[in-house]
Amino acid sequence: MGTTTPVFSFEVTTRDLAGLPDARGDSVKSMLASNYNLNVESVRVILGYQVRAKLSPDEAERTVYDLFADPVMEEGSVNTRLLDNPTIFSEVPQIVIQAGFKPGVTDNAGQAGLDGLLTLFPHLANDAAVATTRTYAFWGVPENTSAEWLASKLHNPMIERAAIASQAECEKSAWPSLDFPDRPALEQTTPAIVDLEVSDEELIDISETGLLALNLTEMKAIQSHYREPSVREAREKLGLPQNAPTDAELECLAQTWSEHCSHKIFAAKIHHKDTETGEDSTIDSLFKTHIMKPTLDIQKKVDWLLSIFHDNSGVIAWNDEWSLCMKAETHNSPSALDPFGGAMTGIVGVNRDILGTGLGARPIANTDVFCFGPPDYSGNIPEGLFHPSRVFRGVHAGVRAGGNESGIPTVNGAIIFDDRYLGKPLVYCGTVGLMPRTLPDGRESHDKTPTPGDVVYMVGGRVGSDGIHGATFSSLELTEESPSSAVQIGDPITQKKMLDMIIEARDEGLIQVITDNGAGGLSSSVGEMAELTGGADLDLAVVPLKQAGLSPWEILVSESQERMTVGISPEDCAAFEALAKLHEVEATAVGTFTDSGAFVVRMGEDVVAHLPISFLHDGCPQLELDSEWTPPTHAEPILPDVSEMGEVLLRLMARPNIASKEWWVRSYDHEVIAQSVIKPFCGVNHDAPGDAAVIAPIQGQTQGAVISNGIVPRYSDIDAYAMTAASIDEALRNAVCVGVDLDLIAGLDNFCWPDPVESAKTPDGRYKLAQLVRANRALDDVCRAYNLPCISGKDSMKNDATLHGEKISIPPTILFSLIGNHSDVRKAVSSDFKSVGDRIYLCGESHHELGASELSYMLRDESNGKSGIGGRVPEIDPTRNLAMYRALTNGMENNLVASAHDCSDGGLAVSLAECCFGSNSGADVDISSIMSDCNQIDAWGALFGESLGRILVSVKSEDCEAFEASMSGHACYNLGTVVDGDKISVNNGEDRLFSSSMSNLRSAWKGTLDGGGPQ
Amino acid sequence: MNQVRVAVLSGFGINCETETMAVFEMVGATADRVHVNRLVNGEMSLDDYHIMAVPGGFSFGDHLGSGRLMGNRLRFGLRDQVRRFVQSGKLVIGICNGFQVLVKMGLLPGDEEVSLTQTASLALNDSGHYENRWATLEFDPVSPCVWTKGITRMRVPIRHGEGKFVTNDRELLDRWSESGQLVARYVDPATEYPSSSDEVLPYPISPNQSWRNIAGVCDPTGLVFGLMPHPEANHSTWLGATWTRDVEDGEHGEGEGLAIFRNAVNYAEENLL
Repeated sequence: MGTTTPVFSFEVTTRDLAGLPDARGDSVKSMLASNYNLNVESVRVILGYQVRAKLSPDEAERTVYDLFADPVMEEGSVNTRLLDNPTIFSEVPQIVIQAGFKPGVTDNAGQAGLDGLLTLFPHLANDAAVATTRTYAFWGVPENTSAEWLASKLHNPMIERAAIASQAECEKSAWPSLDFPDRPALEQTTPAIVDLEVSDEELIDISETGLLALNLTEMKAIQSHYREPSVREAREKLGLPQNAPTDAELECLAQTWSEHCSHKIFAAKIHHKDTETGEDSTIDSLFKTHIMKPTLDIQKKVDWLLSIFHDNSGVIAWNDEWSLCMKAETHNSPSALDPFGGAMTGIVGVNRDILGTGLGARPIANTDVFCFGPPDYSGNIPEGLFHPSRVFRGVHAGVRAGGNESGIPTVNGAIIFDDRYLGKPLVYCGTVGLMPRTLPDGRESHDKTPTPGDVVYMVGGRVGSDGIHGATFSSLELTEESPSSAVQIGDPITQKKMLDMIIEARDEGLIQVITDNGAGGLSSSVGEMAELTGGADLDLAVVPLKQAGLSPWEILVSESQERMTVGISPEDCAAFEALAKLHEVEATAVGTFTDSGAFVVRMGEDVVAHLPISFLHDGCPQLELDSEWTPPTHAEPILPDVSEMGEVLLRLMARPNIASKEWWVRSYDHEVIAQSVIKPFCGVNHDAPGDAAVIAPIQGQTQGAVISNGIVPRYSDIDAYAMTAASIDEALRNAVCVGVDLDLIAGLDNFCWPDPVESAKTPDGRYKLAQLVRANRALDDVCRAYNLPCISGKDSMKNDATLHGEKISIPPTILFSLIGNHSDVRKAVSSDFKSVGDRIYLCGESHHELGASELSYMLRDESNGKSGIGGRVPEIDPTRNLAMYRALTNGMENNLVASAHDCSDGGLAVSLAECCFGSNSGADVDISSIMSDCNQIDAWGALFGESLGRILVSVKSEDCEAFEASMSGHACYNLGTVVDGDKISVNNGEDRLFSSSMSNLRSAWKGTLDGGGPQ
Repeated sequence: MNQVRVAVLSGFGINCETETMAVFEMVGATADRVHVNRLVNGEMSLDDYHIMAVPGGFSFGDHLGSGRLMGNRLRFGLRDQVRRFVQSGKLVIGICNGFQVLVKMGLLPGDEEVSLTQTASLALNDSGHYENRWATLEFDPVSPCVWTKGITRMRVPIRHGEGKFVTNDRELLDRWSESGQLVARYVDPATEYPSSSDEVLPYPISPNQSWRNIAGVCDPTGLVFGLMPHPEANHSTWLGATWTRDVEDGEHGEGEGLAIFRNAVNYAEENLL
């Protein structure tokens, strides 16, 4: 059919009007200048739409300005090249590059174009397709810049194609022209039988070549399953091969048992040794011992933990009417290969976890935390990796598009830089959801209510060959052979339509059970929910496909985006389908939940997989691993002369880890839903950094929710226990700064680790596993002390990249996210100093803890490694901290606190400067009082050490007496005063340590990560 | 049924319908979430409402130009209903993406005939990207706009990538200016009221470098109004950008943005009930 349908080529570019720049072209120009230091004179962008449809010439002509080009501000054409039009382009460009997607890659603009075409010409519905291209025309390109190099910066060959016209070709008007991206025809294969009666070496080979990521023990467990007489007997009856799995069965097991889906390392039996203390012990599951147990113990003491660990996100009761849920996860491997698409699928994916919680929650806030290589990295980049600045820009754009287009505000986040994230960036995406405690039909929304006989619907997008093997791929290290099929681009609008529809269906009582299709696709979503009723029957033949010809196993495991799996009672199916039609969402009945004890997958009449639920979910053998802890040794930092302190602070403010991220954060919508009380930025110029986010999600009401994050991967270079403790404290400290209700706080632990399993590739596996053990012990100790239950978590355990023999492992990293209650948002406190004359206090004890501090890393980098990162890493005293936090929170409730800002990266000095940015003022401070906390502390330790549990506060002078009384019994020192003018002066008793210009510090702080661009 | 009824459109990536419904209810109206397809299929009708609001969002992902595809759905799919609604003297507001929709479908700045002919547009911000920041607006005191009566200035968040108001016929700008249709403009908050100017103010006072600092316009009758910023997002004092600096405890309450919606509901109560 496609061959007889003509392709029309539409082009659009900005019209030449005075005062109307080609902003798309200017953005490319500024990106080249900012990322590559390349200055071109001018860039113009032409958008292309390749339309395959039976349009008459008149219809095509009308479509130019009715659909593709704006009649006021754009020039459009059909089947003629705009570059040939001398009134638009009077000068011949020097280089022209056209980029477009490869066949089969999600093209959202193309999809929107098709929708728009069908609005104009509904009769074309069955035979129309639209693909998009972008054409870049360059003038004034510096000599020795090749067109190929430019093209490589403007497209990602993993998902896109590019065509180039050199100068000679441009002079002949031989413009680049990509063909319509036809998907190659696929040939459906019948289910193969995989013979497992082979040698151990061959079993491993089957796993490796099939990207199954199963180890020998697991392969042998599968082998022995198919040797059981009862299994063989049952299979014979079904007409399945008796002695061996089908490819669909093996794939389904590989997805379900993948590290990504089943967290085998956290479930492993670990033999742990500590050479320092002599400990020699066995831990039966880190997860059960150190994460689940403390939360279950806390659950006995509180009544607000509604649903923990077993659903797509954890649910807490926020008040009698509403509950909140939260989930965070990572999308690291895809983001390394395609930063934009990988990050976008990350954010829309975690949104679906919220939608798939209970009977469906509405996502109301996103948080994003990224870890990248340094943006100014000048070292060697292994082939196959992108420069960190390109990863940064792509990830940011992906999360921006995913979050903004979904109408979910990005309320909080962080960006961390370290050389070791060069191999795999970390892209943490978190989402908070809101749901009514009870539905109109009386059911509690946090419980799923499936019954055998419920119809399984697949809702949203279609299944394609994109996203095959994502779960197993992310359970492997990144290599140059990593498959492009594991990379996808999200489609936020398809998902938004589905979200609107699902929430309406929930409120009408139509949903019995719901989960998202993420890792493992239908094999996981239906397979997991089948556990609730005791079985499911799935027919792959009716699953809507993006392209014909997919094999059964591919349909089963494809992770194509924007899909939910929903269980509906038979009597509600008609209403559910009508709602889907109204919202223009595809919803297809693909099976039934049963109580047969098995997950049965058919392709029409033929059974292609039959997996007992018990084997699928409990058959994976427990790993046994070894762990050994020997503390590392580091040289001490070499501190400069105290006279250089002011200069040191100036340089520290400009460090990427400390510098303002405002340019990037401003392009996230943080205020949609009209609930944003404490925003990412505050202060008189709206540019001082906020701590935690506070939202008031019910319009007009003043009860709020607090959302914060803590992440300090640097500390794991000394001890992952300290790293974890500091992350939890940072999240809580930030929440305390805005006035969180300490009696209703919950946490999420999100581990990203390098492979901690000892092997030839990972000779230091025991040490990395010991780091994991220590991190879990910290989580246990600190969360118990803070009464801070972990309600959900996630781990990503293979964050290594080996490219051309070079292995790069990330530092063990935990993101600790916190969601808490705020009793009255009108009492929320922001970080900016408020008025000249207000008194400045430091709450919390300071110790001489410069180990792994941002200052130590800066001195190390500046001395080429001569200065060490050693010294004492900050230690935690959660009982002392919590007591102080309670006293401070009390002061806030009594309106005694004008501002509060936490001391973290860069310590007290950085915090003080940031508070001054917010008030456009100076400060006069004496640190001598805090020296009494610790007999070893010096001025460097006091000002740049990162001791935990410290908050810098300001108080109106008339409130000082009451404030001091409320803090009595806790470390709380009056340091000085907010002063008029530009000077931040810091003394130690009689000695002036430094006096810096606030505006100079601010310029340094804002300059480093200014993303550039015409403004 | 003596209450003003508001149809708040939803679907296809519109995402500010919840707060848009909330602000109308805060000022005494009843608001319904109305999926566009429910108007197309006849399940609901605009005739049952006094005010139509097109909220912000990312309808159709802003692909092919923000507001374009939703504008086409309304222009082609609901043409008669929309024209009848406007010609019967009822009120319309488009906020952010909703404003883009109204401009692209030709309802704003519009004409006496409600011909639905596009005469202006909203281009990419000069910065080339989406931004969320707060701006200060100043309103034309002699504009016929019903929605902005009596309001001088207002602090509001902007959240858009394509908010630069342009036209290909500069004479139209003068005409719209004379008829009071260029009703909302970005202004330097440090200046005294009134001080709106035609000269484009520096970034970020003018966040998008809109021509003549235009942030919002109305039609010749003043009943149809649209603007890029989000007054509905400043419905309570605790949502302001600097409220922790300038609102004392005990002084909390209604936010600056609510006045716009109250004006419309009051007008509808007096003229349409």
